[in-house]
Amino acid sequence: MRPDHLSAVPDPEPAPGPDAADLLRAVARGDEKAFGKLYDLVAPRVYGLVRRVLRDPAQAEEVAQEVLVEVWRTAARFDSARGSATSWVFTIAHRRAVDRVRAEQASADRTMKVGVASVDTPYDAVADEVAGRLERQQVRRCLDDLTDLQRQAVTLAYYQGHSYPEVADLLGTPLPTVKTRMRDGLIRLRDCLGVEVTAR
Amino acid sequence: MSTTDIHALVGAYALDAVDDIERASFDRHLTDCEICKIELDELRETAARLADSTWSAPPPRMRAEVMAAIGQTRQLAPATPRTVTKAPRWRRYTAAAAAAVVLAGGAGAAAWTIQDQRVRSERTLAEAAQQREARTRSILAAPDLVVRTSPMIGGGKVTVASSALQNAGVVLLGADSAPTDGRVYQLWTIRGKTATSAGVLAAGQDSAVQIVDGLPGSDAFGVTVEPGPAGSATPTLPLVATVQLV
Repeated sequence: MRPDHLSAVPDPEPAPGPDAADLLRAVARGDEKAFGKLYDLVAPRVYGLVRRVLRDPAQAEEVAQEVLVEVWRTAARFDSARGSATSWVFTIAHRRAVDRVRAEQASADRTMKVGVASVDTPYDAVADEVAGRLERQQVRRCLDDLTDLQRQAVTLAYYQGHSYPEVADLLGTPLPTVKTRMRDGLIRLRDCLGVEVTAR
Repeated sequence: MSTTDIHALVGAYALDAVDDIERASFDRHLTDCEICKIELDELRETAARLADSTWSAPPPRMRAEVMAAIGQTRQLAPATPRTVTKAPRWRRYTAAAAAAVVLAGGAGAAAWTIQDQRVRSERTLAEAAQQREARTRSILAAPDLVVRTSPMIGGGKVTVASSALQNAGVVLLGADSAPTDGRVYQLWTIRGKTATSAGVLAAGQDSAVQIVDGLPGSDAFGVTVEPGPAGSATPTLPLVATVQLV
């Protein structure tokens, strides 16, 4: 019988990983170890998302770091009644990435010349490592269920950080239509993914 | 912008596809509408699922850097229960009014580039723009925001949104055309008989969004046409627009 205080090697079949919401609550109490676990859970998606929006790996790394430190700093502000812990983290990440895009636009006054064709550009070889992930397949499948206009409106905004007037411009579609497609596209995705915000 | 119109932005808002002024208007709209908040929470939760497919291994050094950074970062206390001080109804629509003006002027939320910043690096510019955007956002979200407008001689409109609580204002200039012959628009805060420059637009520039600190202490806000690119130390009359602040 091995003494328990020497059991430094993790069990080969660990219990299902700690829930992100529990980790986030521990982080809010200043638990750095819990933050390390939360990092392992969300950092690849935070980095991947920011990189997808910004396209530039060096900037993506910088912004992803800011996002993760922000998660540490503001963990106490997470409110589980308003959504899941992971979505709270990705909301911060997306917002930061988009802010960076807009700041660059404001400073460089960059003209957007992105063609609609680039929407489906394969973005990252590394992401293929997780090609089998169920969630990813589900998101893909649900995106496929949208109309073309809904899908383009949602993905141009989310993955490329375009504002809705830019999306309208890129798609040659009136502004009110783009607003409506973003809304009904997300509603259709919500129903397809079975997203619920329950604990209220 | 009516309540129905602003709510139509819920999808764009959940996707971060709105500008700062629209975001501020939408945030105000949310304080009045519980059902809208639920719809937003669900759409935001849905949008965040789109991140599922973006998985990408971060550089290994990033973990150590983040862990080191949090060791030096103070955490925020939990938010105190929300006591929303409601501004009078007419004031709550002022941000929407400001948004309408900006959209009409085609200025968007693009901050104008102050001329001496041209020599600075891209990075500094990006950071400065980011800070300006955050500041603009917080001023426009102030509960005591007051918005005043004035037409411009020659066509166009100047809108001044000011908050005593923030001791600052956001000025939106949307002229129908820029001055010609190398002349430029210059912005002024006026207190008593003293005018202080609040910024000079670039040659050819006909729209701007500018943050003016200390604006609520001024009597008026004015715009003149001055020789470019540096502008003048004192305003050349006549003023092409004046917004009385008291």
